[in-house]
Amino acid sequence: MRFTFLLPLLCCFVMAQSAPADPASKAGAEKKMSIVRVNVTDQAWDFIRPWIKRTQFTRRAVGVVLAGNRVLVSAELVANSSYVELEKAGGGEKAAASVELVDYEANLALIKTTDDKFMSALKPMELTDSSVGDHVAIWQLENTGALLSTSAIVTTIEVQRYPIDDTALLVYRLATSLQYRENSFVVPAVRDDKLTGLLMRYDPRTQSADTIPAPVINHFLKDAAGKSYAGFPKAGMDYTGMRDPQLRHYAGLNGDSAGGVYITSVHKESPAGKAGVCAGDVLVAVNGQQVDRDGNYVDSQYGKISLSHLTSTKAYVGDKAKLSIIRDGKSLDVEITLAHRAVADYVIEPYIIDRAPRYYVLGGLVLQELSRQYLKEWGAEWMKKAPERFVYYDRFQSDLFQDRRKKIIILSMVLPSENTIGYEDLGNLVVTKINDVPLNSFADIEQALQKPVDGFHKIEFEENPRVIYLDAKKTEESIPALKQNYGLRSLMRLE
Amino acid sequence: MKRSFSGILIICLVLAQSLAAATPATEMKKSVVRITMTEQEPNYKVPWAPGSTASGVGAGFVIETHNGQRVMTNAHVVSNSRFLSVSKENDPKQYIAHVEFVGHDCDLAVLKIDEAGFFKGTVPLQFGGLPEIESAVSVYGYPIGGERMSVTNGVISRIDFQLYTHSGVDAHLTIQTSAAINPGNSGGPVLQEGKVVGVAFQGYSGDVAQNVGYMIPVPVVQRFLKDISHGSYGRYMDLSISTFKLQNPAMRRALGLVDDDHGVMVSSVAKEGSSDGVLKQGDVLLEIDGHSIASDSFVDLDGEHVQMEEIVERKFKGDEVRFKLLRNKQQMEVTVKLDKAFPYLIQANTYDVSPRYVLFGGLLFQPLGHDFYEAFQPEDLRVRFFYDFYVSDQLYVDHPEVIILSTMLPDPINTYLGEFRNGIVDEINGVKIRTLKDVSEALHKTSQYYVIKVLGTGRPIVLESSAVEPARARILQRYNVSKEENLSE
Repeated sequence: MRFTFLLPLLCCFVMAQSAPADPASKAGAEKKMSIVRVNVTDQAWDFIRPWIKRTQFTRRAVGVVLAGNRVLVSAELVANSSYVELEKAGGGEKAAASVELVDYEANLALIKTTDDKFMSALKPMELTDSSVGDHVAIWQLENTGALLSTSAIVTTIEVQRYPIDDTALLVYRLATSLQYRENSFVVPAVRDDKLTGLLMRYDPRTQSADTIPAPVINHFLKDAAGKSYAGFPKAGMDYTGMRDPQLRHYAGLNGDSAGGVYITSVHKESPAGKAGVCAGDVLVAVNGQQVDRDGNYVDSQYGKISLSHLTSTKAYVGDKAKLSIIRDGKSLDVEITLAHRAVADYVIEPYIIDRAPRYYVLGGLVLQELSRQYLKEWGAEWMKKAPERFVYYDRFQSDLFQDRRKKIIILSMVLPSENTIGYEDLGNLVVTKINDVPLNSFADIEQALQKPVDGFHKIEFEENPRVIYLDAKKTEESIPALKQNYGLRSLMRLE
Repeated sequence: MKRSFSGILIICLVLAQSLAAATPATEMKKSVVRITMTEQEPNYKVPWAPGSTASGVGAGFVIETHNGQRVMTNAHVVSNSRFLSVSKENDPKQYIAHVEFVGHDCDLAVLKIDEAGFFKGTVPLQFGGLPEIESAVSVYGYPIGGERMSVTNGVISRIDFQLYTHSGVDAHLTIQTSAAINPGNSGGPVLQEGKVVGVAFQGYSGDVAQNVGYMIPVPVVQRFLKDISHGSYGRYMDLSISTFKLQNPAMRRALGLVDDDHGVMVSSVAKEGSSDGVLKQGDVLLEIDGHSIASDSFVDLDGEHVQMEEIVERKFKGDEVRFKLLRNKQQMEVTVKLDKAFPYLIQANTYDVSPRYVLFGGLLFQPLGHDFYEAFQPEDLRVRFFYDFYVSDQLYVDHPEVIILSTMLPDPINTYLGEFRNGIVDEINGVKIRTLKDVSEALHKTSQYYVIKVLGTGRPIVLESSAVEPARARILQRYNVSKEENLSE
């Protein structure tokens, strides 16, 4: 079940029962100095009309002051930000700020301001890990600047999907009853006056909140302190549980005591693939930690948790991991070098944020790269409503495309012009070639257009009508009219 | 949303103006019959069960066929029928009827009546031609609103290709009329000047459109009658190509055409279809059987402006279609022999068949088809893709049937296999699965393990033969399954 993102949420003062550390009044003054309001004006690109930005809107959140005069917020808050400012909780003093570092996969961002005076009055907060059963407080701000603290309890610590679907990292799940307030797109969870997590989504129906936990934040900060930010690593394999005794016998596992999971797919360019791990191998241990039949191991801190924790939140890019596998009934150890999978290493990029979409308007034909960001223009139900072929390509891209650096170029729609008579109804077609040149990246378009065939641009599709033609010279001549008619400043964005 | 009229109705009566040589109206009335049917529709979720029964009423009319007098009606009036009876106006007797010929792709059927006395006093109705737009017609039948025969009037509104909703995939020439056609009119004649000009068959529900009713025109009816005169009905043959209108001036020049608004481009040729190997993608079709093809794919045929498909529509299996075309700017002539229907039947409604399946260890394997899809409404993206792109991506080449592991009858043998529901079966014990028969054969070969690979899942389904043998009998008994497989329709 996916949660809705915590929009403006906010808080309330839960009283009573819980947590000894609670009373806001006591430590109130100190606490306020460790959090600031963060006001972000976001303006995303329109992926259907890639030459324009959508209407801007402002979100307000509570950021946490960290050492080094930085403010921590979630990456979602600053996605496609045009303007960021910090605001003191009380008094309304403001400072312009900028995003210093953002990791959309870990959903974390650091904000910095050059206004030293603004920051000098604030006190950095430290981090602390939590365990299941710990009581924590969720901090929000009232309009007056007063601190509102809601108590919560850590019910579950597990590896969960993050907003960028391909990422799964450690999450603290909290049980809490939050009230709606403005300014609460992101709010901190605090224990003993230390930061233990940032809320990233809240489901009011089940009253549970998913929190980016201190271990993920620490990983992000430690990585940020290095020369270049590397991100969270992945092993690059999929697996499924092995409870089925018939499958265990078939895979050569004898006896009932052993655990192990069945590796279902390994991409050849992933860390596991480069080290020779194959689909069909049975993974029985990672770094000496025994893996059970569901893919969990017993963590000293969290108890049973998914083995992927060992190769993501708990590890850094460049670390080695030892996979103990059984192949054809024989045991062997494989050492893999963990790496981060860059967004560019996806055929259909899982997200495009802070970057304008590439496009090329060719005589009225709008060419774009297929991305999940484009598909998400069909709304929350995009998996059902977006063009089915594209959704299929996205979901099964690792099966369908061997070269994961290839891109899929699509004709997204047609801006009718005299060049496109008879083509008006075409849209959402995969473009395979232009002028007989296969298209594997957006840059190929411009090159291909250099070489018209007998004065025509020949454009080929995967589906009907398979091929259409434009008059190369007339296409060139129509540029000013097309720009003027549709109000386009440029007919292309290649970078 | 289009809806076919289920059930009911019938008949005719010629009304109205004049009546030259044709049968007098009072005589014709006697030739209109009411058809009552009891049907049994299979349940694809429980394919071994006989299905539930329902009944309906439709219309029909007496015609003369090569076998003598018969009753013509819509296929959808008699589909999946288990018992049929017909009655005439002013005659209380119920006569037992049987389906003699049925064409589900053109929604027509011919019924044989056991008792010879049935036709006493009836006159076989004569067929006319294509009526003129705006000319008046009368529709006879037994629509909702009462028990006795009803007549409505209207004019011919439009003649064009339309989807026939009974099969859900076939489009043929269709006449639209403003006369009210309601549930119960199905199978009834539409008359003009004492002759049948159409068979009422489908329309829109009232909240979608008003005064839009459809009839099957005489060319489609005559084709059906001619086909059955050979003793059986074959499907419509198809060119199995897609075409693209050539309205873009640059495209016309690039393909070597002049600016005369003629010719359409072949955009794809279905593998294994009638045109495979004869027509090529990129060919520009200029003439079909000597009729010049306009750039919007229309031709002039017998004074009518119709889509070029109409020429193919009127032909039969084994007939030929001649094309004049431009290939690589060279003019040439080719001949397509119509020997195959379009390989798209996965998306067609099916009737008068029992669901095919194989049940093994509680795993139910079924071929993907429209009725299966409606029953299960799978949300699985891969299954939806295989269904929707079966034709356009030519998935039928590797999958003449797409075999789905549709469900499991829970048993210890399959209790860990829930993740495979809706899986498309790729291989069993190393044998590629192309049809349901392949599944049956692979599972009947004794083996220590049955290893079933499903598309897109890295891990196989493994059934141990020592475990599966006792499970088979157990499952049949526990779930009241009459037999483990049905391979024939």
